[in-house]
Amino acid sequence: MEAHSFSPESAGFRRAGVLGLAAVTTVVGTLEMHRLLSAQGTSAPEVVLVFLFALCFGWIALSFWTAIAGFLQLALGPRLPGLRYPSVDEEAVPLASRTSVVMPIHNEDPASVFANVQATYESVAATGHLDAFDFYVLSDSTRAEAWVAEELAWSDLCRRVGGQGRIFYRRRTDNTGKKAGNLGDFCERWGRRYDFTVVLDADSLMDGRTLVTMARLMELNPRAGILQAPPLNVGRTTLFARLQQFAGRVYGPIVAAGAAAWQLGESNYWGHNAIIRTEAFINHCGLPVLPGKQPFGGHILSHDFVEAALMRRAGYTVWLVPELGGSYEQPPPNLLAYAQRDRRWCQGNLQHLSLVMAGGLHPFSRGHFLMGVMSYVASPLWLLFLLSGLVAALHDRFFLDVHSLDTASLAFDAPGSLRLFAVSMGMLLTPKLLGLTLALVRPGEAAKMGGRVRLTLSVLLESVLASLLAPVMMLFQSHFVFGTILGYRVNWSSQQREDADLPWAEGARRHAAHMAAGVGLVAAAALVNAAMVAWLIPVVAGLLLSVPLTVLTARSSLGQWAARRGLFLLPEETEPPEVLERAQSITEEHAVEPVSDAVERVLTDAKTHALHLALLESQPGLAESTSTPAALEGARRKLLGGSAEPLSAQEKVAALLDVGTLSEAREQRLTRALS
Amino acid sequence: MDSVTTLTACPSVPSTVWAVPRSRAALDTFFRGFGFSDETDLSALAAWVLDGYSAHGGQPQAAVALARARMETWLSSVLGLEHAGPGLLARGRAAFVLCDGASRGARLLTRPAAPEDFVRAVRAAVPVPAPAQVSAVMPEQQLVLWPFGELLRRWWRGASPDVSISR
Repeated sequence: MEAHSFSPESAGFRRAGVLGLAAVTTVVGTLEMHRLLSAQGTSAPEVVLVFLFALCFGWIALSFWTAIAGFLQLALGPRLPGLRYPSVDEEAVPLASRTSVVMPIHNEDPASVFANVQATYESVAATGHLDAFDFYVLSDSTRAEAWVAEELAWSDLCRRVGGQGRIFYRRRTDNTGKKAGNLGDFCERWGRRYDFTVVLDADSLMDGRTLVTMARLMELNPRAGILQAPPLNVGRTTLFARLQQFAGRVYGPIVAAGAAAWQLGESNYWGHNAIIRTEAFINHCGLPVLPGKQPFGGHILSHDFVEAALMRRAGYTVWLVPELGGSYEQPPPNLLAYAQRDRRWCQGNLQHLSLVMAGGLHPFSRGHFLMGVMSYVASPLWLLFLLSGLVAALHDRFFLDVHSLDTASLAFDAPGSLRLFAVSMGMLLTPKLLGLTLALVRPGEAAKMGGRVRLTLSVLLESVLASLLAPVMMLFQSHFVFGTILGYRVNWSSQQREDADLPWAEGARRHAAHMAAGVGLVAAAALVNAAMVAWLIPVVAGLLLSVPLTVLTARSSLGQWAARRGLFLLPEETEPPEVLERAQSITEEHAVEPVSDAVERVLTDAKTHALHLALLESQPGLAESTSTPAALEGARRKLLGGSAEPLSAQEKVAALLDVGTLSEAREQRLTRALS
Repeated sequence: MDSVTTLTACPSVPSTVWAVPRSRAALDTFFRGFGFSDETDLSALAAWVLDGYSAHGGQPQAAVALARARMETWLSSVLGLEHAGPGLLARGRAAFVLCDGASRGARLLTRPAAPEDFVRAVRAAVPVPAPAQVSAVMPEQQLVLWPFGELLRRWWRGASPDVSISR
């Protein structure tokens, strides 16, 4: 099937508005930059500078006009054209379709995973449409302890909510294709049982009403392939996370509405909190393995963009539907965890470069690939822009005839530069101002965010802190981009901790190079003149303060302190939606007992043993197809031979896959205990 | 052959049922898997299994096979046809243990019918990890990464397409 547009008549106008204005703005800005730099002729570094400026300015121009489009879309209030929404009568009718809600997980904390599943399940049940939904927890966990803990948590959940036969648990023994492979495995085994599949992340939480609306929209729009509900960041307490949550709540809707307003049925898929048409997905979205080696070849890492492109290529539309609401996830707790996530995403997005020219794709799908690449490449571009600016200034300082500066026509146009700087900053800050405006004028919203004064103060503080954190992220992302392209491995050994304080030593270790870069920039700028140092202060300040910024914003105590003073408050905190409150209370009420040694637990605890064996026996042939004989042999020798030597991670998994070994070892222990 | 007389506390089982020690040990291990640990319960359950079986559990394997059969019959009567099948014993045992059936004593198994509340609880506790599979194949999609280059390659009768099929 050929890709063709399902977009409404206004699509052309909307797209010309955003893309056209972004292009015009970029051209005007670039010409102005060229005029400023060419006062004394154009040197080679300045040519590079103008080129880099055009790319970076184009990127912020697109974001700016998207935000304007989003503001207009939200202010004028109409629904997105092109999708058919249910009437009141249609909403009252039971769903005719079957939907699976799947949550792929990988060594996650089972307490929060299953609390979110339960809260979502109960929320769907409250809508009266539970019969139309099944839930799957699709485990790719490799740690034996996580595996056994998941089994116990799943069993408890089923018994708590009577979810037997509706909440399912499946663990894969090999992680081929990672999350995309996990989802693909689900589709190949159970996908045909369902019309639609809602894909969640391990930290996703969705309101039942949203899920029902999504399923109904899919029923009413048979050519819709994917509907993406933009998730709202909630639930963490560190200052860094609260900043992200606040930014996502105030500015996020503007950005999402803007993207939806001009992308319409050629929007993107973010990999979770979305509903997909299962059969179309099965038939058209099997991911290819790219030729060549990583980073550009091999298994596709960021599968979501590619799946959206394939879905669109097959003639189905992909919609971002911000008005759905009721879609939540959690942000990383601190800057280092955020950067760690970025490192993974960066490699995945850069891999899309090789797909930009692929045959048969919709132009907007190519655009999404490029925008995904640009979201990371923008950082090294800004860095190179900064450095070429410095080099150009040093070139003028040391190689230009100083007397030429006395000529009025050749003098540097300082007011013009300030004007361009102000325009650039204005375009960067506009989405924040528009978001703030909407929050201030919407009835009751500001009150739920601490009141108008505190809300405005929060935006100011968030803007300052985000500006300080931005240069560090620029260096992190540049490192990841260069690492990916040049093929060197970016090592990262720190662990993401649940809202735990970050040690100063960890901060110093991670940011030593950033502080050194800050000092280097100041030194280079000082060689030009003092004014140059002043221009660089916004960048240098963040680099020099990177250690305290990272460590202090990672503190939950500071986040809670800010919340107590009404700063960075979300309406979802002051008046939490039922599903959020429920997930929180389940996490507190039904603490999952930690499993310190999975094999020991299965051998000593009758419930764990019986449950684990029952689940193993429900997948006959599993052990034969996946276990490594040497690991099983080692496990048997240690478990049955009375050796005190602990089992390796591989041996634990091998033992846990073998019913015979587990039964024999338990019998042996029971007999030994009695004698 | 060593033999012991196993007295049972269960009125429905004759008090003269006895088992050879090795078989009795095997039966005890089997029922410990259901969470039973009390000697009286284990004794009663051994008697329940071997009742009417003339060989007195001469071979441990035979005794355990008999116990499995007894339990499968009991579980199918409690769980109903919905859970019948090869995994009945494993799933039924899990449900029994998760409901702490052993705390109700051997009488739960030896009495003619299990209490209604327990039946409801044990049915709700049967682990059903996944429904029946409906197999499908997700065909790997062909993406020609550089169509113009592909055209040139074909013109030159050159190399294979630039996207591999991995499976």
